[in-house]
Amino acid sequence: MRAAFSDALVAAAKANPKVLLLTGDHGYALFDAFRKECPQQYINCGIAEQNMVGVAAGLAKAGFIPFVYGLSAFVPIRVLEQIKIDVCYESLKVIFIGDGAGVVYSHLGSSHQSTEDIAALRAIPNINILSPADRFELSNSMAQALASERATYLRMGKADLGDVHPGPTNNSMGDLVPVVVNQQADTLILATGSMVSVANKIASEINNIDLYSVPSIKPINVQGVINACTGRKKIFVLEEHSKYGGLGSCIAEIIAGRVLCEFEIIGINDRFSECCGDYAYLMEEHGLNFSVVQKLFESH
Amino acid sequence: MDSFNVKNIRKTILDMAFNGSTVHVGCAFSIVEILAVLYRNHLSFPSNDVNSPIRDYMVLSKGHGVMAQYACLHEKGYLPSEDIQQYFKSGSRLKGLADAHIPGIEATTGSLGHGLSVAVGLALAAKLNKTEQMCYVIVGDGEINEGPIWEAALFAAQFKLDNLIVIVDKNGFQAMGTTDEVMSLGNIEKKFADFEFDAVTLDGHSESELDTAIHAFKINKNDRPKVIVANTVKGKGVSFMENDNIWHYTRLNKETYAAAVAELQGEK
Repeated sequence: MRAAFSDALVAAAKANPKVLLLTGDHGYALFDAFRKECPQQYINCGIAEQNMVGVAAGLAKAGFIPFVYGLSAFVPIRVLEQIKIDVCYESLKVIFIGDGAGVVYSHLGSSHQSTEDIAALRAIPNINILSPADRFELSNSMAQALASERATYLRMGKADLGDVHPGPTNNSMGDLVPVVVNQQADTLILATGSMVSVANKIASEINNIDLYSVPSIKPINVQGVINACTGRKKIFVLEEHSKYGGLGSCIAEIIAGRVLCEFEIIGINDRFSECCGDYAYLMEEHGLNFSVVQKLFESH
Repeated sequence: MDSFNVKNIRKTILDMAFNGSTVHVGCAFSIVEILAVLYRNHLSFPSNDVNSPIRDYMVLSKGHGVMAQYACLHEKGYLPSEDIQQYFKSGSRLKGLADAHIPGIEATTGSLGHGLSVAVGLALAAKLNKTEQMCYVIVGDGEINEGPIWEAALFAAQFKLDNLIVIVDKNGFQAMGTTDEVMSLGNIEKKFADFEFDAVTLDGHSESELDTAIHAFKINKNDRPKVIVANTVKGKGVSFMENDNIWHYTRLNKETYAAAVAELQGEK
């Protein structure tokens, strides 16, 4: 997925000299190709994220298209007010890339983990929130962000989980993307980002489950959600994010009063990580790895 | 009548503050001469278009002084009298803090420490576009307590933004007291000089000193950002407001409004 991101970014910058990449001194190796291909469009803003977002706002106001890259613990969390006031209030087109979202930085602790970024941004107007699951969704998300007239937050989580889709996706921003939809199954899973991969394994091993990926949390196709959810007995939402304010909350807001069914969010409980370890370890700590989720489904 | 007459600007501010029953009069009064000189002599709006893509930028980072900028934008013809008269009233688009939805206001800056970064972005854009645009930004002295100010200062020097002129409104007060009482700033000129700015300190109510310094900085394309530390008086222009920090918070009543107007007009 990171290679797809780099490729899309380089292509966008080569196609349009107004595209700039701003980084808060992060992105080692990731931007090698960009720096080689588009050195004049690469701006290392130093370890100063708040200023970086303000600078991006000024550049966008003057007609540039800034990509602002940082770890998602910093972009958007550390710079939330700058995103709100400097960028979103003016409806400026700035594309924020939050890398390592969720608990990807599993060894480094809570300062580098972000399980609240979607919740924080959802309440701010004038910004898209995209959460791709694989390289195909990533490429489409980049194209959507570039085509959009307003700001975008592109949440890049665990990037090496393999493909979910067999080929490029071309859905419009906000659409649910079918992954396993063989029938009108009793159970529906809606998942985003890294959890689509986990959900895909679940849906392939347990009968009578449909699965949609939700790469766009904001905007979201409300009617598409209602259509997907109607007639189900049970709906699960899977996300590597707090159970508060993420995709699960978003779906619940939409279907409340419209769809009668059991509903459960499988996400991160209202707590920080306790221990460090590799990514699989930490996902297990939070009850989000495949085996834990599988048992949960089997118990239903 | 000469343009951007500072007494007229202060009278407009008093009218806005009285009619709208608002605070921040002292904060607006301290930057009147700075804005008058900029709008009269320096800010370029080609074809008189406030949104011209090659305009000079004027960012009011201390957004609570916005009444002074509204008065200037009104005199420029960018804000109609109706807006000025409706300032702060229910349904008005003119809010109590600088708001970029208003023509001529470049950044939304009620939260302090934002404007300089936006200004730096605008100045960088002008450099990348190879235009002659200047970017002016007024920051409060209290405002430079904020960390992003110094992040932006580092950036401005690193990227050689000699088209950026920062003007520090050094009126010596912030919300809860003097700057020395709250968070002493030391030698502001030296601090910016240490951040690789060309720096000068002058009388922020002397239009000739301001004009001379701005002109000299404008033509000095030496790859260094510039700062003017403007020694000002909070509440300047009305004796009972000067250096009295209650005029950060106090609303005018009929008596104080009348007294302030009489003093302004008496000095004409």
